[in-house]
Amino acid sequence: MHTDAPFHNISRRSFIHQSAYGIGGIAYSLLADQSRAASALGKPDHWHGALQQAHLPVKAKRVIFLCMAGGPSQLETLDWKPKLKELHDKPFPESFTKGQQLAQLQGAELKARGSFTNFKKFGQAGTEISELFPHIGSLADDLCVIRSMQTEQINHDTAHAFMNTGSIIKGRPSMGSWLTYGLGAETQDLPGFIVLTSTGKNGQQPISARQWSSGVLPSKFQGIKFQSRGDAVHYIGNPEGVCQSTQRQVVDEIKRMNNILAEEQNDPEIATRISQYEMAFKMQTSVPDLMDFKNEPKEMLDLYGIQEVGDGSYASNCLLARRLAERGVRMIQLYHRAWDHHTNLEAGIKESAQAVDRATAGLIKDLKQRGMLEDTLILWSGEFGRTPMGQGTGRDHHILSFSNFLVGGGIKPGITWGSTDELGYRAVENIVPVHDLHATMLALLGIDHHRLTTKFQGLDVRLTGIAGKVIKGIMA
Amino acid sequence: MPRLSILLAALLSSVPAGAAEPLELPKVSFNRDIRPIMSDTCFHCHGFDAKTREAGLRLDIREEALKKTENDILPIVPGKPELSGIITRILDDEDPMPPEKAHKPFTAAQKELFRRWVAEGAEYEPHWAYAPLTKPAVPAGGNPIDAFVQAKLRERGIEPSVEASKSKLLRRLSLDLTGLPPTPSEVTAFMAQTSPDAYGKKVERLLASPHFGERMAVWWLDIARFADTVGFHGDQNQRIYPYRDYVIDAFNTNKRFDQFTLEQLAGDLLPNATPAQLVATGYNRLNMMTREGGAQTKEYLAKYGAERVRSVAAAWFGSTFGCAECHDHKFDPIKTRDFYELQSFFADVKQWGVYGDYKYTPEPELAGMNNDYPFPPEIEVESPYVIKRLKAAEANLKTHLEQWRASQTQLSSKSWETELAPFLTQHPEGWITPTATALLIQNGKPVPKSVIEITADAAVKTKPAPGKGQSLEVTLPCTELATVSSLRIDVLQDPPTTEKPTDIQISLSLVQADGKKQVVSIASADARIKAPRYSGGVQAIGIEKGWTLPYKAVQGAVSGLYILESPFRVRSGDKLIVTVTGSNSKPLRFSLSPLAALEPLDTASKETLSALATPAEKRTALQQTAVFETWFTAGAPDPAALKTAHTLAGAVRDLNEGRTWTMVTQATQPLKVRVLPRGNWQSEAGDVVLPSTPSFLPARLESTEQKRLTRLDLAKWIVSKENPITARAVMNRLWQQFYGVGLSAVVDDLGSQGELPSHLDLLDWLASEFKDSGWDVKHMIRLIVTSQTYRQSSSLRPELKDIDPANRLLASQNPRRLDAEFIRDNALAIAGALNVDDIGGPSAKPYQPADYYDALQFPSRDYIQTTDREQWRRGVYMHWQRTFLHPMLANFDAPARDECAALRTGSNTPQQALTLLNDPSFVEAARLLATRLLSDATSREPIARLHLAYQIALARTPKPKEIDSLLSFLIQQQTHFTQNPNDAAKLIRIGLSPIPEIDPIQLATWTSLCRVILNSQEVITRY
Repeated sequence: MHTDAPFHNISRRSFIHQSAYGIGGIAYSLLADQSRAASALGKPDHWHGALQQAHLPVKAKRVIFLCMAGGPSQLETLDWKPKLKELHDKPFPESFTKGQQLAQLQGAELKARGSFTNFKKFGQAGTEISELFPHIGSLADDLCVIRSMQTEQINHDTAHAFMNTGSIIKGRPSMGSWLTYGLGAETQDLPGFIVLTSTGKNGQQPISARQWSSGVLPSKFQGIKFQSRGDAVHYIGNPEGVCQSTQRQVVDEIKRMNNILAEEQNDPEIATRISQYEMAFKMQTSVPDLMDFKNEPKEMLDLYGIQEVGDGSYASNCLLARRLAERGVRMIQLYHRAWDHHTNLEAGIKESAQAVDRATAGLIKDLKQRGMLEDTLILWSGEFGRTPMGQGTGRDHHILSFSNFLVGGGIKPGITWGSTDELGYRAVENIVPVHDLHATMLALLGIDHHRLTTKFQGLDVRLTGIAGKVIKGIMA
Repeated sequence: MPRLSILLAALLSSVPAGAAEPLELPKVSFNRDIRPIMSDTCFHCHGFDAKTREAGLRLDIREEALKKTENDILPIVPGKPELSGIITRILDDEDPMPPEKAHKPFTAAQKELFRRWVAEGAEYEPHWAYAPLTKPAVPAGGNPIDAFVQAKLRERGIEPSVEASKSKLLRRLSLDLTGLPPTPSEVTAFMAQTSPDAYGKKVERLLASPHFGERMAVWWLDIARFADTVGFHGDQNQRIYPYRDYVIDAFNTNKRFDQFTLEQLAGDLLPNATPAQLVATGYNRLNMMTREGGAQTKEYLAKYGAERVRSVAAAWFGSTFGCAECHDHKFDPIKTRDFYELQSFFADVKQWGVYGDYKYTPEPELAGMNNDYPFPPEIEVESPYVIKRLKAAEANLKTHLEQWRASQTQLSSKSWETELAPFLTQHPEGWITPTATALLIQNGKPVPKSVIEITADAAVKTKPAPGKGQSLEVTLPCTELATVSSLRIDVLQDPPTTEKPTDIQISLSLVQADGKKQVVSIASADARIKAPRYSGGVQAIGIEKGWTLPYKAVQGAVSGLYILESPFRVRSGDKLIVTVTGSNSKPLRFSLSPLAALEPLDTASKETLSALATPAEKRTALQQTAVFETWFTAGAPDPAALKTAHTLAGAVRDLNEGRTWTMVTQATQPLKVRVLPRGNWQSEAGDVVLPSTPSFLPARLESTEQKRLTRLDLAKWIVSKENPITARAVMNRLWQQFYGVGLSAVVDDLGSQGELPSHLDLLDWLASEFKDSGWDVKHMIRLIVTSQTYRQSSSLRPELKDIDPANRLLASQNPRRLDAEFIRDNALAIAGALNVDDIGGPSAKPYQPADYYDALQFPSRDYIQTTDREQWRRGVYMHWQRTFLHPMLANFDAPARDECAALRTGSNTPQQALTLLNDPSFVEAARLLATRLLSDATSREPIARLHLAYQIALARTPKPKEIDSLLSFLIQQQTHFTQNPNDAAKLIRIGLSPIPEIDPIQLATWTSLCRVILNSQEVITRY
């Protein structure tokens, strides 16, 4: 049996269910020969991760995935195509598009749409970034801009699934679940994987809880979505009329009842249950503390461009993301639903750019000034890109090329990676499939993507499916 | 589960059977010891998939494994490990097998197993799950289950556990068979019984309970991936609940499982299919669907087809076909071709890749469909639940009318009739068509250059047709009428046109001679000819909110009838203004009537007119009622009573005559199914395949060019006596329901990567018995729950911890945390709040955190929680939103049901604690239990109340320790709430149920106590 994947040879289903004497749903008894199990037994409620030690040097300890949901146009953000602008409104050369899958443009007459905006060279690196993103642009020397992304899924739902889980088959764990499963979390009183959402004024598309599902991994690894209204976490608030001390008394009394039960009933789940109530109670205090922004000074709010803290905006979520990172959350995912610009591209992109530019830059600067950027890996990306062909006043979905950027832990700063053809239709140099992006991100967290697996239906399921290559060229 | 088997094998083989006997190793078993290791480590490169086979070595078939490889090596020489290539490589530290890059090195014990296996002759065995099914002989002993289990325990010298206490058994049985705890009276009655057959009788009563079907439905609905929404993208509502009713009913009536299978897969192909058999075919429609604009029909049809293969194979074969979509299975003999051949059985299921008529993916059949529309094909069926509600609603209306009629001693219809008579003489049909004038209005002003024409048949025609943002304002002078009670609009469509659908919305106002204007409300409206209108997949019954004409033109005039909420007396100069919006280009004719009916379509019916024409003394009872109801509705002698009547009548109409719609399978011309290379839906390169049963299972059926096999052929083959795997898969899953773990623990993979069953002979016996009994589910459950194995104590035995760490030998029962739905059912039942009177019916929406659906769109939607008794319906009826499953369900491991889910993970998390502590459903349940305790006349003292609480919640008496602790807790809580009465008032307000007249301090104190009880591990666990 391989030493750093203690569950390797145990089917997931059986490791969950064959736990008669197990602790917390994990059949530790089967691992009696593992020194790790002994230490785990001492702390039944805290998951230290399936990896005993890192496979690779650890460059990043946590991930913040800024998901620009809807699919931002790379042609107005990160991929400057002057030739396309020249061709604006002229027929799009058929040599590019023949036989390719399109979404809403399928069968339509294809015309080139040049970028409506101009690009500027930013930083010493001279990275070309749309002038709609001056704040992000000002950090160009920290960024690694990838212009050669490709995905396999052309519709939102499945593309999100692919971007998050590396598969469109239901039940595949999302990246955050893999990370908390593999590494545990540094926090004990917050979930290890937290999802925040915000909504723009246009270009919205629905998202699904499936995107942060733990799939076939135990549900303790699922992402917890914070609500924009009411309790941040479902059921985190005491019932009305129950103060914290009464709640404490209730929890204590539950514990007493469970201990009495344990005297006659030999069932390890009782001890686990008691510790889960303790953790729940801790969360009830730590979440309000987390959400209490009153110690954040005015300059801090200005850095992010926050109008009103806790207003559910992307900017407010960025600040919250920093607070979560400080508290040891392993994966923080922000969805900003504002990028599906089939129509009104110009107004839509401008508005969305304004909503995310300053806040994203604020987050990066804030982490940097706290010395946290070096071990925080940030990904800014949509689930796919947009066509260089116009669709009315907008652009259609596109999978053959899109752009994103990475910054922080272990990323080579101030570079661009890969490129597209002259019209931005297809990635041609250093193509980065989603699996390679995943493999690289895992590598930065010290994980060999081949070796973080779980058994499901006879397969060693992993984030990168049967593919994935680490892109050494973007690693510092 | 190779690891465990090896551990067990190693442990067991190293334990001497008796102290004096010499150590003798049992023979290595291929299925138990070798295949799991091979499957995990060897088959990937040396197995079924020819494309990835290396060195020409194939290890899954013995005769291949004895042949020389490409490198001229003999992999296996039976009896001679030292000459066998595989053993040499396994032991080679320099260049080992499996290779280092596989990260799966063999342990010393595994190496030794292989060596011994070859030394013993390298015998292969067919994979247990695919091997023909023969009924094993039962070892001596009573219940065959006990015979098998105890025989194995005896081999290890282990005694079974003692029987659980009587009260524990009753609670276990009730929760396992019905998902509900026993009531206190059931407990008392059962405890008083001393006869030996008391337990057996209880089993029979519970099997006969209608709640048995509800409990078993949860088991099957996970398999069938039953949900209320389509899952992809906008995750819109789909109409399918009659399928759930079918499943509940199937278990309650103990439908044979073979029949259950036939009906779900192919009910529509059965001769003279009944409505229930058609409803059952909803199974084939439960795949996720999309309506996303820009999605490609062909791509999504490929996704649907592939999902269906995975789900059918998981449900009936316990098999993992998923991998074979792209390549031959690495570990099982499932070929890519098998995958597509199975898919092609379902190629005739009528559906659309994208459920909308978009310009980039035109689907003329779906024209006019928007995000509020359901997902055809559907049929309309009777729903027993809705019929029950309908009868109640009709009775309410009838009672209201009769009571009002009986209470009228002063009022009579006489003067109204007298006033009406001249009008009816003049207009015997009951309608007058006033000379209308009309204007086309935009932004409150007439549209210039618009021409309004009054046609020869008195209709209003607009040129051009009203555009977006425009409305037609029609003025109708109310001459000749004493009262206006209803309005009729005729749409004249002669000649019929097939342009855009006609869509009419109206609002009414009354303008008096002096110019005063007031709004006139419409109580109800309906039309005989109308296209359905939907909101969130729910069909509007009447046309109050809008009238859409069928897309296909109807010949002649069609009429819409509008009943005024308050009929008005006409004063000289009164005019009724009808404002028409919506898209309509057809001439409209407007008529008014002094008559009206609660059911709009009955207005001025022949029966009413003839009753009115009959002199009062000559009227039959029926005619008297007709006149009375017309007077009541049109003459409005009591406006308040009329308003109530309209509300009650609306409730009746909403129940749609007890009928509802449900998705079904409709067979159509089968789509061409091709093998898709690597699953690529765009490829046309693969072979076209026809339906055939899996090549690796016995008695294969194959289509020929002449005879294409159907879903019915597949279903019949699945339940044929030759197919060994279905009965094994189903019995294994059933076992899991009663012991927490399947006999083969990996219930969703009976293939070689799964686990050899702990008791293969028992599983085979159960599977054979299941078939022999006529696929009798209740019979099998009866066998299980009456066994001594089931009745054992569930307390684990420390002395067995090392011998059988996972309790796979079943020396005791396994405790089982209740499944999500039953956690809630149990709490509500204990609270006395659970709605146990209704079986079946539409999904209910209990409390859910606000804005949980805020990331959902197309359409955007609010979750409207149910406010009546629906709030406390059982968990099996909870609205199942695939993309955002109710947090309570999700926290307790209910699957989203995107696909077949045979196994729920059993987690133990802080989110569960938070749910039980703070979810209003559970806080309210605690308050209701407290109310129950405080209202009990026989339990006035705290200790007596605690006894009652334990009787209700746990079917037992509390221990002195528990009483001591809870009494102190009560005092603590009482002190707190006495000092903080506002807190008490707030706590007892949570939930919709009315606040009882109990001292709030007392109620809050006991609510706290009941929260403790409902949160305790014992309450949420079946011990």
